[in-house]
Amino acid sequence: MSIELTRNFSIIAHIDHGKTTLSDRLLEHTSTISQREQQDQLLDSMDLERERGITIKSHPVTMRYESKDGKEYRLNLLDTPGHVDFSYEVSRSLAACEGALLLIDAAQGVEAQTVANMHLATLQDLKVIPVINKIDLPGADLPMAKKQLEDIIAIPAEEAIEASAKMGIGIDDILEAVVERIPAPEQPDDDLLRATVFDSIFDTYRGVVSYVRVVSGQLKRGTAIKMMSTGKNYEVKEVGIFTPKQSAEDVLKAGDVGYVIANMKTSAEVKIGDTITESKRPCPKPLPGFQVVQPMVFSGIYPVSTDDFEQLKIAMGKLQINDAAFTYQAESSVALGFGFRCGFLGLLHMEIVQERLRREYDMDVISTYPGVIYQVTKTNGEELEVDNPSFLPEAQVIEEIREPIVRVFIMVPNQYIGEMMKMVLERRGELENTETLDEVRVMLTCLLPLNEILVDFNDKLKSLTRGYGSMDYEHAGYRPAKLVKMDMLISGESVDAFSSIVHRDKAQARGRHLAAKLKEVIPRQMFTVAIQATIGGNIIARETITAMRKNVTAKCYGGDISRKRKLLEKQKAGKKKMKAIGKVNIPQEAFIKVLKTSD
Amino acid sequence: MSETTVQHLYFHIPFCAQICPYCAFYKHTPGKLANAAFVEALLDEVVACSKDYEIAPKTLYFGGGTPTLLSRKHLERLLQGLHERLDLSALVEWTFEANPATYNIEKAALMCDQGVNRISLGVQSWHSETLKLLGREHSPEEAKEAFGILRNVGFDQLNVDLMFSVPNQSLEQWEVDLEQVIAMQPEHISAYNLTYEEDTDFFKQLQAGRFREDSDEDALQFRLAIDKLETAGYHHYEISNYARPGAESKHNQAYWAGRDYLGIGPSAVSTIGLKRWKNVADTADYVRQMREEGSVGKDECEVLTPDQKRMESIALQLRTAEGVSLDVVEMNGEVDRQMLIEEGMITEGGGRIVLTEKGKPLADTVALELIG
Repeated sequence: MSIELTRNFSIIAHIDHGKTTLSDRLLEHTSTISQREQQDQLLDSMDLERERGITIKSHPVTMRYESKDGKEYRLNLLDTPGHVDFSYEVSRSLAACEGALLLIDAAQGVEAQTVANMHLATLQDLKVIPVINKIDLPGADLPMAKKQLEDIIAIPAEEAIEASAKMGIGIDDILEAVVERIPAPEQPDDDLLRATVFDSIFDTYRGVVSYVRVVSGQLKRGTAIKMMSTGKNYEVKEVGIFTPKQSAEDVLKAGDVGYVIANMKTSAEVKIGDTITESKRPCPKPLPGFQVVQPMVFSGIYPVSTDDFEQLKIAMGKLQINDAAFTYQAESSVALGFGFRCGFLGLLHMEIVQERLRREYDMDVISTYPGVIYQVTKTNGEELEVDNPSFLPEAQVIEEIREPIVRVFIMVPNQYIGEMMKMVLERRGELENTETLDEVRVMLTCLLPLNEILVDFNDKLKSLTRGYGSMDYEHAGYRPAKLVKMDMLISGESVDAFSSIVHRDKAQARGRHLAAKLKEVIPRQMFTVAIQATIGGNIIARETITAMRKNVTAKCYGGDISRKRKLLEKQKAGKKKMKAIGKVNIPQEAFIKVLKTSD
Repeated sequence: MSETTVQHLYFHIPFCAQICPYCAFYKHTPGKLANAAFVEALLDEVVACSKDYEIAPKTLYFGGGTPTLLSRKHLERLLQGLHERLDLSALVEWTFEANPATYNIEKAALMCDQGVNRISLGVQSWHSETLKLLGREHSPEEAKEAFGILRNVGFDQLNVDLMFSVPNQSLEQWEVDLEQVIAMQPEHISAYNLTYEEDTDFFKQLQAGRFREDSDEDALQFRLAIDKLETAGYHHYEISNYARPGAESKHNQAYWAGRDYLGIGPSAVSTIGLKRWKNVADTADYVRQMREEGSVGKDECEVLTPDQKRMESIALQLRTAEGVSLDVVEMNGEVDRQMLIEEGMITEGGGRIVLTEKGKPLADTVALELIG
């Protein structure tokens, strides 16, 4: 099929605005998949994705569509994740497209993420087709949605297509608009092979499967290819398109989106954003790549049972193959034993990895309090990056600590501005800009330390605004801050799992909170146990667990002895599972409880 | 008498006129069961055991249930029957548990005549409200009267059972209970912290939040008992037991020392060497099996490992004034006792580890540490 008849596009939307439903409807309409074959939300193939109604991985699919002009087009849809954590995946997919459908919920209107995604699309110079979805809903407010489209996104309202993916309304109009409004891919004049890798997965039987957009030249079985970033050569074993299952084709030509299987054995051999060219006739320079994905959120993940360490290691390796953004590195903790320091894109990403470890790999894990990566300048000029509080140098050798900052876009109804601002300020944020969106809503642009929005910012925003507020964020560099390492001491012994890097002004509150939590979960011992939060040896919060006063069985006669012994055996086994912090025995559940409920 | 001679026998009489809501022992109301047949079954089991073991009792202990619920006639048959079947020449202690409401002067005299020399009286409290809550059928006055009868009949070894940390029982009330028992001058006093045993009504009440446990409060009551009774001349020789010098329960001491004992009757537990078993906990089955098969089915059987035996020795002996031998504690190698000594929980001397006053209320925690 010629390049003029190819259209590459993506769907961008705020979470829950109906992206996956629309994708499914497009597949059905183009008979890519019959209704009977449909399982709801076809493109979200991971169980977790379907369950949470979110898309995590990109899922390209090729559709054939006979347009009203009588020609048959090849439409490549690149589905993208909808959560802020995965915006890097969005930009990667968008880079392989010429256009995008911007989906707006007719009842919810434009939201923070709509704006952020629109921003990404504009950066990629994409043709944007606005689609107002869910027009069948009783709460649908078309005039409002159209006005917001004009006011906030600056797209003329008449360009909008009114649709209901659920009811199948407007689907033809959307497909026609894709053909008419989105330009065909362009290609360089030469016929040298250039293909961008925008994603990859690992298949146990076939090795690495690279998802590619061919920009020029062609890819087919037997082609000797070179990965431009590594200079390594491979032979193509198979090429194909997604229908949406992988389906082999003879050749992938310029403009096509599909997959390539070469003799790559490990996922480390393929770099997302790399350019594939021909070994014999390489193109002079690679295509513009993508920003390398950097994990932003870090947490220790430990097996609940120390015997499971090796198994956890294997599970993490398998996970990483299909999730390049997830990083892990072995570490050990006095309190938790051997485990891994893991890096994630964001909190949702972290939750998903934990959930997948539990579900798909049957691992029982504990995670430490999530943190970010800090830049540290030492007094001797040395620069470090610290993702684990244990590795923060002593305060006296630190010249400066810088923390990651994010620019947060918060869209809220007017009446919540005051409370919202209070929340931003409490979290050490500052307002950069306020923009009136329409009569009822404003967009607040704020700078906040990433650390401060990590755990519950989104949840608090939602509850504060009764669900009407929304947010998105982008990284905005590093900034120096008065950060200190706070340690938790139990009977004078520091417990590494509870150490954290906190802002000096927040240390005491957090110290008190943690101390109180620990008091709750550590069982009484035969002696008094002091729990202290300290900064550089200074105690900033303290709790005391009073000594246990009585623990003795009343009756121990002939018939009671076995029962007594069995109880002791059980307690002895339980004690073995406890972690001894100095002379204090702490059950593992206590660690889990504190780490789980830390907020 | 050889090494393997069994010197301690326990008899379980599972009848109770009324079921106490805190008790988890195997017991039931007498119902229509023929007590005569039950007594014969007990005697038959003694004979059956004599075939397997050489028995020369130093101590006999009749517990329950309520042994004194047996009629005078059945009691007489049982006690005489034992004289006929056992060599009691070495017997030094023969205890009967008695419920103040279930015996009279005739039964008391009969027991005395037959050689019973120690009575353990289940008084529990001298407060009628507490007695009612505990489901006891006797009044404080009846208990006092019962005590008087036993003295008059000639018993010079009397124990009184008391309970503390009973719901609604204040520290002051417990102090009055202790003072009253001291005034009566029994030779032995057992003071038990109420235990919420599973499968009891009290346990359900606890689960439902109607009762509440407070170990700090328990510790105060326990401390008060030790102080009051020690001051009154009772030696605190085991966690829940106090005695005038020489009046310690030899039968119970045998349990704590880890000696062999045979349990006769339904649900009774026996331990011989490393073997332990429990008779079937069903009176009707028990009687039928004895009659038809000449032996009793076992509910539970176990063979202890030397490690388990060690664990039991530590747990039991640590509770006593003599403490536990260091040889037992370090049977498998060194056990770190530094922390226990530093915290003032134990003292060591003469090759034995003994709980301090501070360690007594934490005996179970200390035992766990010593087990290692």
